[in-house]
Amino acid sequence: MATWTWFHRLASPPHVYAFARRWTPWFGGFAGLALVVALYGGLVLAPPDYQQKDAFRMVYVHAPTAWLSLMIYTTMAVAAAVGLIWRMKVAHAAAAACAPVGAWFTVAALGTGMLWGKPMWGAYWVWDPRLTAELVLLFLYFGYMGLRAGIEDPVKADKASAMLAVVGVVNVPVIKFSVEWWNSLHQTATVMQLGKPTMDGRMLWPLLLMFLGFALYFITVLLIRLRAELLRRERNASWVREVLT
Amino acid sequence: MNEFLAMSGYGKYLWPAFALGFGVVILNLMLALNSLASAKQEARKRLEMNS
Repeated sequence: MATWTWFHRLASPPHVYAFARRWTPWFGGFAGLALVVALYGGLVLAPPDYQQKDAFRMVYVHAPTAWLSLMIYTTMAVAAAVGLIWRMKVAHAAAAACAPVGAWFTVAALGTGMLWGKPMWGAYWVWDPRLTAELVLLFLYFGYMGLRAGIEDPVKADKASAMLAVVGVVNVPVIKFSVEWWNSLHQTATVMQLGKPTMDGRMLWPLLLMFLGFALYFITVLLIRLRAELLRRERNASWVREVLT
Repeated sequence: MNEFLAMSGYGKYLWPAFALGFGVVILNLMLALNSLASAKQEARKRLEMNS
């Protein structure tokens, strides 16, 4: 019963707006703290790798941005599916708020990957399954945003873009398992695998903290963008007057 | 300090990667705050017009 009450509250724009306003500073504060400590741990405290030397430190920016690009797409697809199934406006707003952030983090994942690829593989770009699938992810984000921008009616834009987001989610496991399904230059999972991570503990804790920091950061940015989306969508609602005066 | 910046010869790849990654972090926060500020401004204007 309590679960349903909570779910119904999620469908209420004023409730979600108030929740987002209350929690943004908390998520943002902890994200900033985690990122600063993780940066110090990764760049200063972690020892160099015996093979890659200090180049391995690229993992502290590449892995979290790549992970975030997938996590944001999955969040967007789930929100879009909820919006389609339950016709929940807040869910469509959340999906729309995810897209630009996800696209930027996909650009960051591809860029940092290229900068890691050059010294390790001898090339900035290779048409490797992992890299190609990540590039497809960027095009999916562009497609989602383009579709929204191209349809004037917001209800139709919500539906069409949500369908694209849901269909495109098939690319997420393709990216994740591409290094196992096909021959790939990209290394296999070192942290997120069943059993024990293959990283030394002194290298691992800053990476896990970085993941946490990026996750909290994403929630922070999502809550801010969600508030903006709700204000634009609920332009004629009485609660907008109340929160702005 | 120079040794730290050199990162055993990989500094020229490592530092641009960190600049890109954390540049995106800062940029996204600024874009989100800008979007919220402009949404508030638009909503206030509308409320003034309607009152």
